[in-house]
This record gives sequence, structure tokens and C-alpha cells, in this order.
Amino acid sequence: MTDPSRKYRWLLLVASLVTIVFLVGAAVQENYLAEWMRIQRRYRNLLADKATDDRGRELLARYKIERKQVSVPALGAVDRCVSCHNGIDDPRMVDVAQPHRVHPGHLLDKHPVDRFGCTICHRGQGAAMSFQEAKADDVFWDYPLLPAAMTQASCAVCHDVEKLPPNEVQLLLTGMQLYKQKSCGSCHKLGGRGGVLGPALDNEGAKTKHQLIMSSLKPPHTTWHWQLAHFRDPGIVVPGSLMRNPTVTQDEALALTIYMLAQWKRDVPESYLAPDKVEQKALALHPMPLTGEQVYQQYCMGCHGNGEFSRWDKKFNRFVPGIRGVSLVTTASNEYFRTNIENGRPGTQMPAWGPHAGGLTPEEISSVIEYLRGGASTAQVTPIAMPSGDAQRGLTLFQRNCYGCHGMNGRGGIAPEIGNPVFRQAATNEFIVRTIRNGRVHTAMPAFQSKDAPALSNQDIADIVAYLRTLGEKKTNKAVAQNLIPSAPSGGKP
Amino acid sequence: MAETATHEFVQNLKELPGTVKDACFRTGKLPESEREESQATFHNLFLHIHSVRVHLRSLNPTLTFGLGLIAAASFIITLITGVLLMVYYKPSTDLAYQSMKDIHFTVYTGRFIRNIHRWAAQVMVLVVLLHMARVFFTASYKKPREFNWLVGLGLLVITLALSFTGYLLPWDQLAYWAITIGSNIANSPRELTDAIGITQWFDPGGFQKQLLLGANYVGQDALIRFYVLHVFILPLVLVTLMGVHFWRIRKDGGLAKPEDSPGGLAEWGGERREVFQPLATKTYGLMALVKGKRPTVNRGPENTVMSWPHLFWAELAVFMLTVAITLVLAFYSDAPLKELANPAIPENPAKAPWYFLGLQELVSYSAFMGGLLIPVIVLVGLALIPFLDRRAGGEGVWFGEKGEKGVFWQSLVFAIAITVGMLAFTVNFGWLRSWFPKIHQLWIIAINPGSLLVVVFAAWSLWVLRRRNSVRLAAVSLFTCFLVGFTLLTYFATVHRGPNWHFYWWPSQWPLH
Repeated sequence: MTDPSRKYRWLLLVASLVTIVFLVGAAVQENYLAEWMRIQRRYRNLLADKATDDRGRELLARYKIERKQVSVPALGAVDRCVSCHNGIDDPRMVDVAQPHRVHPGHLLDKHPVDRFGCTICHRGQGAAMSFQEAKADDVFWDYPLLPAAMTQASCAVCHDVEKLPPNEVQLLLTGMQLYKQKSCGSCHKLGGRGGVLGPALDNEGAKTKHQLIMSSLKPPHTTWHWQLAHFRDPGIVVPGSLMRNPTVTQDEALALTIYMLAQWKRDVPESYLAPDKVEQKALALHPMPLTGEQVYQQYCMGCHGNGEFSRWDKKFNRFVPGIRGVSLVTTASNEYFRTNIENGRPGTQMPAWGPHAGGLTPEEISSVIEYLRGGASTAQVTPIAMPSGDAQRGLTLFQRNCYGCHGMNGRGGIAPEIGNPVFRQAATNEFIVRTIRNGRVHTAMPAFQSKDAPALSNQDIADIVAYLRTLGEKKTNKAVAQNLIPSAPSGGKP
Repeated sequence: MAETATHEFVQNLKELPGTVKDACFRTGKLPESEREESQATFHNLFLHIHSVRVHLRSLNPTLTFGLGLIAAASFIITLITGVLLMVYYKPSTDLAYQSMKDIHFTVYTGRFIRNIHRWAAQVMVLVVLLHMARVFFTASYKKPREFNWLVGLGLLVITLALSFTGYLLPWDQLAYWAITIGSNIANSPRELTDAIGITQWFDPGGFQKQLLLGANYVGQDALIRFYVLHVFILPLVLVTLMGVHFWRIRKDGGLAKPEDSPGGLAEWGGERREVFQPLATKTYGLMALVKGKRPTVNRGPENTVMSWPHLFWAELAVFMLTVAITLVLAFYSDAPLKELANPAIPENPAKAPWYFLGLQELVSYSAFMGGLLIPVIVLVGLALIPFLDRRAGGEGVWFGEKGEKGVFWQSLVFAIAITVGMLAFTVNFGWLRSWFPKIHQLWIIAINPGSLLVVVFAAWSLWVLRRRNSVRLAAVSLFTCFLVGFTLLTYFATVHRGPNWHFYWWPSQWPLH
């Protein structure tokens, strides 16, 4: 009779051997092979090499191979970076390889490691005990390690960066200026001010990779790499992106990336904030008004360019009026500008810029109107006496002369939407009459009482104005044309 | 006198190891005769749940593949590693994730221990399911083992609940969104109550969800509930049920096995052995009080061997095998730990733990059907098996009834064809909502791929019942369909469902966003 449990004893032997092998393997890995242990053994050798005086010998004697960490409860940080970066506060470690090297610059004098930790500036996974996991490019961690050049983004957490020595935060300041120069605020809100075509950027630096489209990005799939690539060409990183290519150099893209990473409303205890940061926060509640030129550059230029010419925007398939055109600013009243700026043009991509929308104050809007005018005024223009108009005839005239560019019912096309409610509200009859008569210099709008276009009599123009006034009354073009409704009351009273 | 007392004291001191050992072990030494071997089994608290002799058939590895033992072993492993993890884990939404990171990075071998815990739990869920299939296909639920089948079902549910409650504890994105999905499955009766418009008066779904989470969302209340369930209540229930389960195995006559042949020679363990006539009057002492068939009642003991040492070698070997498997898995594969739970950033796709993914696939068709009715139908159906299939025969033999293997293969092919066809149809053509956008939700609750699968499988089983004229074969066909459906739906939802629960051939094709 064969032993019925013989095969089980073999199984037991094999399974037990496997168990022992893997238990021993785990123990060896834990107690001897860990990355940080190998690094600390090398560091101990470095200490021995440099132990030339008593102090050096004492440091060597005191050195223990152990897990090291900086715990900063106030910042919610337990940073174990110092387990491998042993030499960051040892000035002798200048000519050695990373991770043993001393921290560059004099930043640690003012930011002692035991008070600030590491991740408040560098980001990354402070709790990790291996470089790959600390760097967190490709592990499950929201805030990967910033490349050294980008670390200055973190200064903004506790400082008003404009008060810092400019050479320390040069790229960040450049990014801040570029943001204004490139008129990013035309489409993006920051600090409650800006347009609405793009997302608000107030907490852009806090975004995780899961909030950004990474599918077209080459590794590493990190937020900072996304920003960098996105500033070079938004359409490549986010297919179908409507963002205009900001046309920046590599260095400018880096600066803008740093500025974006600095946009992080981090909850940091007051005691960590620099006095100028506290002041900056207080001042932010009552910002200094911008000049008209600044407003125009930061919030208008993104779409309107220099504003002297109207243009066709292929990306958005829209007409962008030249709002500093000489014939506009000599025709339109301040009220006309103010209504359009405060309320925007609903249905178009011109957002409202009033205090509760785009965040411009009434004074700033006044300043920007002054800037648009560039000194020109409508005061010297003498009023024109107009006859009363016939809307039905106006429709025919509109279809013959205006419709091609301004579209059916004035809903726009390759020229502004003159059926737009804000336009109808803001534009006085006189403004419309004057525009039709004189046209717009530097645009496709001809003067209809000159040799450039079919001549319209004063009566014709009054009829067209009367027709335009019917547009708001929810009556269709067709209904007017078929004479089903009475034509609008005369509107041509200058 | 003094010298004698000192002498005695020194003598006692010298004999200390031996006397302590004698005091601890009632027999005091390794057994040498069969009598002592039976005493070794019988006089030991931990061993006496075994009979002193074990049938050779029960030692045959291909009868059970040791699945029940592996399940028990993996539970013991999770118990030990779980207690170790409890030392460092902090069940608070503020601290839990950081304590997981500490276990990963700084606790001595913490990551390894967590990996073992996680892998042993996965092995346990898988093996419990396989064990159920083994018991079914060897007809081991039949009289007198009906009750133990029910206890086993209870153990299955508790095992799933243990694994599910453990899922939340790391408080990472994976945990947060898996439990959000899971609690929405608990909320699924609402689909029906909403459809007939009575939710504001009668809302069992909302009640279930609140009972589970202690709130309307996954937060601190849910975490502490899951923690208490995971480390205390459910293990307690599981240990109790396991005790009952083991005790009933013994009381129901050991592992199910067919009657021994009534004499002559038979094939045993690769050799011809003599088999004796049943001895009608032969019983063993105390055990005569026990009703039912046991290895030694009404039968000769001739195909049995001593439990000590044979059975115990086998059990120890299976235990160590389980340990070795979980260690190897844990050594090479880390348990997942994603980013800190963030209610503002949903995981897409948010998937439940793998053993609930089949349900999640059904839930994607109809929350009520997939989340409540079908699981209830399946559990009730499984529970009824031993009470509806009562004809003796085939116990302890794989596919023991005549024609069973044929029915098994037919049902396998049938169920695969139906399930794959149904999934392919749904992926390609959508379902009622895509064709009739305004259809009433009640129609979708009633008619959806999940409910159709249940109906088709039930119809197939009834057809087998009538055609083959055997309840057992009908049960085999239905159980096979259930296994296939569970496996394929789980596989499908794991591999082929991506963001927004859309179909993808492979996860590598998911958009990276």
C-alpha cells in the first residue's frame, strides 16, 4: 500500500520552501536592498571622506542609517525626502552627485527645512521612500515633483512675488507680464476679472492630471508638462481646442507655465505668510484701477487686436469689429460704448465686462472708453435732421444693401450683428444713420452716400432704421414682408 | 529533609521542559499506534472536529481540489495580516489615507503585509466561488447536507461583504468611487419606485443606501461603519458560520461520497484493494448517537486511513500552499493605492470591486434588475437547489448522474452563446431607450438584457427538466448558465467597459483623460 499522504508531504515541503524563500526575500528587501539604504550607505562613505576635522568626525560618528523625515503638521506635510537627500544642509556637499548635494542658494537660511519641509515648494510625494514614487510622474499622486526651474511657482503661495528680489522669481514675473501682454484676460478670468471664452484660471496650479486632457500629451503625463506643451500649441495637446496659439518661445512657455502653476489658492497658516502676502490679499479686495491702455491690453486686445481694423476671425467664424476705428469713435457716444462694454453682446463672443461679469469697475470702463477714443469726440458733429421711415420699405432696402454682410434679420455674418438686442438698445438712430452715411474707414462698410456704394437717400436710410427698430419686436422678416403686421412707428427723430 | 527538598526542586527544574510539555499536550508524545493516533485526534480541541479515520476518497485531491481548505486558509491569513494592519490604520477620513501611505512607505514590511492581506482576500473570494461550484457539481448538497449548503451560501455573502467593506478603508480614489457605485447599487430599488412614482412614500433604496453609508454620500460615517463591519462584526459572523460549516461537515458524515462497493476488489489509489461487505451493526461508541451516514456507520472501515497523520499532512500542505501562493503574489504585485479620495474628481470609469462588476454591468441596463431583483433571484435559486433536487445519487462524484456531463457541456455552450450574443447585440444596437427614447422606464426595468438572460436561462433549464426528466440535470443546466453568466459579465465589465461605460476592446484604448 502506498502512503496516501506522501504527495501531501511533498507539497508541504515545496510550499514551505517557497514560503521561506519569499519571506527571506521580503526581509532582505526591507532590511538591506531598499533604495534609501543604499543611498545612505553611500552618503556615509562621503561623510567619511570629508571627515577631516573634529566636527566632521563627530558628524560621521553620529550618522545612523535610518528613515529620516520632516514632519510639519501645520502644512500637513510628512516629508521623507531627507532620507535620501542627507546633505542638503551640509555646506561641504557641493561637489558631490545628487541626491547627496547641498541645497543650492541661500533659500534654506530663510526657509529652514524643519519648519517648511520640502513639498510646500517642490511638490511631489513627500511620504515616499523611493525617488520614483517621490517624483510621482507616473504614480497615483496628484502633485508631481516640479522640475527645478519651475519651483519658483511655489513662492507665490506665501509671497507677493512682485515684492521678492526679481532675480529669484524672474520667470514667474515674466510669466505674469506675458499673461498681460498676450491679453490672456480677454478669454480667461483670473482674480474675478476677464473673459469667459476660456476656463477661469484662478486655481489652475491646483489642477491634477485627471482634470486635464492627457491623451495627446507625450510622457510625462504631469500637469506642468501639460501646461508647457499647451502653451506651445494648444491644439496639439487638446484636440479641437479653441485657444488661439499664443505664439511664444520655449522660454516664454516656461514662464507662463510657472505663472499658471503659481495660481493655487493653498490653505497655508497665517504664520507662514510673508507680510507682503497679507498686504497683497488685503489689496486684492480694493485693486488699483487700471489705466485705459492697460485695460485694453489685458482684456480687449486678445480679440480686437490693435482695434483699428475690423477683421474676420477664422477660428471662431466670427466678425470682430475694430473698436478703435476712427469713424466709429467719431460716431459713437460714450453711452454707446459703455452699454456695449458693460453688457457685452449676448449671442456673440463679446462677453459683458461690467463689475458683476468681467470684473471691470465703472472707472476702468470710463478709462478704456477714453483710450478707445484716442482723443476724438462726437461733440463737434452736428445733428442730422431725418424724415420718418417706413419699415416695410426699409426691409426691401435692407435686403438689397445690408443683408449680404449683416445677415438675415441682422443676425450677423461677415459683419457685426446689428439685430443684437444690446446693439439695438445702445445704438441711437443718429448713430446708425451716421454710420450708414459715412461708412467705416478701414472696414468693408462703405459710405452709402458716397461714390463707393449705391447711393441711399435720407429717406432710404430712415426706412432702414425703421426696419431695424422692428427687429426687437419678435416679428419675423416674413411677416413684415407680407404686410401682415403694420410697419413700426417711425424712429427717425434725431 | 532540606537537602531532599532542594534535590527535588533541582530535579523538577531539570525536568521542566518535559513536564510543561506533558501538561500542555494530553497525550504527551507523538502517537505510535493507531489507538494513540485516534487519541491524538480526539483529545485535541483543534483536531477533534475531524473524525479519527478518513476515507481515502476524501484524501483524493481531485475530489475537492482543497478549495474549502484554501478558503479557510486564506481567511486565516487575512485575519493575521488584518490584525497587523489594524495596528497602524486610522479609520478617519483625515488620517486614513496618510496611514495607508505610512504603511506603504515606513512601516516595517507594511507594504508586503498589506499586499498579502489584499491577495489573500482576492484568493478567498475566488476560491469560495469555486468551492461552491465544486460542491454543486459533485452533488454534495444533497441530503443530509442541505443545511450546510445554506450555511455555505451565507459564508459566500459574508465573504463578499468583508471584501467590499475592506475596499473603502484606504480612502483613495479607487475606494471612494467603488463604494459610491456600490452604495448606488444598494439604492437601485429607487429605479422602480421612481418609475411608479411612490419614492416619496416608500423608498427602500434610499433606506438601504442610508443604512449602508449613514449619510447620503460616502463620508466619515460610511468609513466608520465599514471599518466596524470589516474588523469586527463580519469576521465574527464569518468565524461563527465557519464553525457551524465545519461542524456540520463532520455531523453530516464527512465529505460526500458514494456508497462503497459491497465487496470484492475495487480500484483505490492506483491499486486493487479488498472491499468488505457493509457491517450493518458496526458503530463507534459515542458516535452511535449521531444520525445519518458517517464513514464508520453501517459500513466497514476498510477504505479509511487514520486522520493522524494523513489528513493533517494534507490539510497542512494545502494551508502552506495557500500561504505560498499569496506570498508570491504579494511579493510581485502591489495592492493598489490611488490618489486621495476626491469627491470633485470622479473616476471614469468608476468600477465596483471585480466580483460585483457582473452586477454593475446588469445595473447599467436596469438598476433595479441588476442591483436587487436578479441577485435576489440568484441567491434564492441557489438556496432552493438542495430542497428541489432531493433524489439521492451521485454524491461526491464529479458529474455523478448519468448524462450530467453532456448537459453541462450543452449548457456551457448554450450560455456562452446567449450571453456573448446578448452583449454583442447590446453593444452594437443599444437597447429600448436608444430605439424609443420616450418609452416608460417600467418597460426597461422589465425587459432588459439582464432580465432576458434570466428568462432564457430559466427556460433552458425547464426544457432540460422536461426533456431529460431529471431535476438534477435541470439544476445542472441552470447552475452552469449562472456560472457562465457571472463569469462572462464580470470579464466583460472588467476588460471591455471603459469611460462612461462605453465598449472598448482593451483598456489601452481608453481615452487618457
